[in-house]
Amino acid sequence: MSKKQPTTLSFLFTPADSAAGEDSNPHAKTSTNVAGTLDALSSRFGDAIEEVTAYAGERTVRVDRARIIELLTFLKEDQGYTYLADLGGIDRFTEDDRYEIMYNLVNMDKGKRIRIVIRVDEDQMVVPSATGVYKAANWNEREVWDMFGIRFDGHNDLRRMFMPDDFEYHPLRKEFPLLGVPGSLPLPPQTPSGGLTLDPFARAHGSVPPKSYDEPAGEDD
Amino acid sequence: MSIIEKTDFKEALTFWPRHNEALYRRLESKHAWLEDRHQGDGAPPDALDNEMVLNIGPQHPATHGVLRCAVELDGECIEKCVLDIGYLHRGVEKLAESKTYQEFMPYTDRMDYLSPYSNNVAWCLAVEKVAGIDVPERAQWIRMMMSELARISAHLLWMGVGLMDAGAVSVFLWSFQMREDLYSIFDHVTGARLTVSHSRIGGVVSDLDDTGMDMIRDFVERFPEVHAGWVKLLNRNRIWIDRNVDIGILSKEDAIELGMTGPNLRGSGIAHDIRRFEPYLKYDEVDFTIPIREEGDALARYFVRMEEMMESIKIIRQCLDKLETLKGPIRTDNAKRAYPSKNEVYYSMEGLIHDFMYTDTGVTPPKGGATYHAIEAPKGELGFYVQSDGTGKPFRVKMNTPSFTNLQGLEHMLEGGLMGDMVILIGTVDPVLGEADK
Repeated sequence: MSKKQPTTLSFLFTPADSAAGEDSNPHAKTSTNVAGTLDALSSRFGDAIEEVTAYAGERTVRVDRARIIELLTFLKEDQGYTYLADLGGIDRFTEDDRYEIMYNLVNMDKGKRIRIVIRVDEDQMVVPSATGVYKAANWNEREVWDMFGIRFDGHNDLRRMFMPDDFEYHPLRKEFPLLGVPGSLPLPPQTPSGGLTLDPFARAHGSVPPKSYDEPAGEDD
Repeated sequence: MSIIEKTDFKEALTFWPRHNEALYRRLESKHAWLEDRHQGDGAPPDALDNEMVLNIGPQHPATHGVLRCAVELDGECIEKCVLDIGYLHRGVEKLAESKTYQEFMPYTDRMDYLSPYSNNVAWCLAVEKVAGIDVPERAQWIRMMMSELARISAHLLWMGVGLMDAGAVSVFLWSFQMREDLYSIFDHVTGARLTVSHSRIGGVVSDLDDTGMDMIRDFVERFPEVHAGWVKLLNRNRIWIDRNVDIGILSKEDAIELGMTGPNLRGSGIAHDIRRFEPYLKYDEVDFTIPIREEGDALARYFVRMEEMMESIKIIRQCLDKLETLKGPIRTDNAKRAYPSKNEVYYSMEGLIHDFMYTDTGVTPPKGGATYHAIEAPKGELGFYVQSDGTGKPFRVKMNTPSFTNLQGLEHMLEGGLMGDMVILIGTVDPVLGEADK
């Protein structure tokens, strides 16, 4: 089978390149203004902070992944970010530092929300697990492992979250085809007495269900 | 030989057994907090003859969908519990990457199918944030009012089903009478009973007419009385209270640590509500309180939800008053950011072109833009992280769904409880698997 090229939009359009200004976003929230935390982070961690980006009033702090646990512990214990709202992976589909993992942390007392991001290279798909700091990271990390194939060092239950344990692929990677991989998931029979199928799109390969749903012909017919 | 012609299925059939093996291995090796407790009082766990592994679900009516719980029982006590989800996994995050922003919206209807309107609003707000689209005032008030109706509808289902789990079928029927009225309202206002898809990026699809307003007003008038009837029936109901009190207790610390959200968090005494925390739409302009309870048990969560319904009514009343006088557009008048009105499409060439272009390309947020926007859905914080690459389709959508978050806490809650309380606890967490499985 020839390799399918990624689809691009087939007409001309002008992507808006400039990010919208800080104040102009009508949905920007005051909770994402975390200047105090950023100061504390930069004075404590200094060069471990690789980049701070601002978009729509939100701050994304990209940090060195080797120090992520130290940093999360600092945020939780010193800065009051006790609540992990979200944790997820991103496939940037670049050659270097292909994956990203983001941590969405909330400070309930001060009403602040911050996003911490680390990058993961394809050569080294293991990152330290945050479950030791936030228990809530447990299922989210399993989901990242399931969807992107990034392992979490120190996670005590790294099973797949949604897909069955014997599924071989990681679906949210960009190269995983949208229609799935034929033969990767055995499916129940299409009719009550039919056999197992290995392909969700069996019809596309010329397969028809072994029986129709019509009433079988009786002796009188 | 193609895969279809393969006749030897032996290899393929090792599929589910391997999955189950991993699940049971986890159950066996899991270190539950109960073991710590046993060690704490010095007495070794006496589980020599009574231990039993039991599978509940995925096809079990009391599990509210396709939730599978593998539990290890010591007599009647749940020693360990491992939840298995993913039976309804459709990969909507993956699907989102191949859809335009507007095209994706019907998928959000099918996530938390008990409050589709909230999901639509959550998605639209997330896209509007990443693209920097302003929404007309009237549309914001309509969205807010309908989201609150959706909250009532979701809480009604939780109440009816929760009580049915406890053995009281009549409340289920009563709550469904009210839900039927809500469905009629949705049907009239949005054109669909369940999968409403009424919100649009940049506004809503159609304005409220007088009949719709009257229907909502009528509902708001009738609801408090019906609600008072339920309160009268349940708040001092011996059976209901005995089934709920002191089970599934979550302390403040545990609730935060486990990342619980929504009424489950507020039932543990934490006044965290996205409507206050990060006010969206017009929630900073309406008057309402956030009910909380300190006890952290199933009964506390019951009280929180019951009071939330009345707070929603309060908000809807204010929305109705506001919408009486506030007239104006219901969608942004910018062809690059929102759909043109149908009149424009039918009677002008530009409108038709805009409609076509919007369907084909849609809104294109700036390249590299990434935002997270959360709303307070009936079940808790529902957030969308949207990352754009400058085209009309999102580069990455990460959903933070409340049911997924809450189910993680359920695992902890079940351990140490009784088998008979299990259905009550599942009901009290109020999971919707369509949302948890994404």
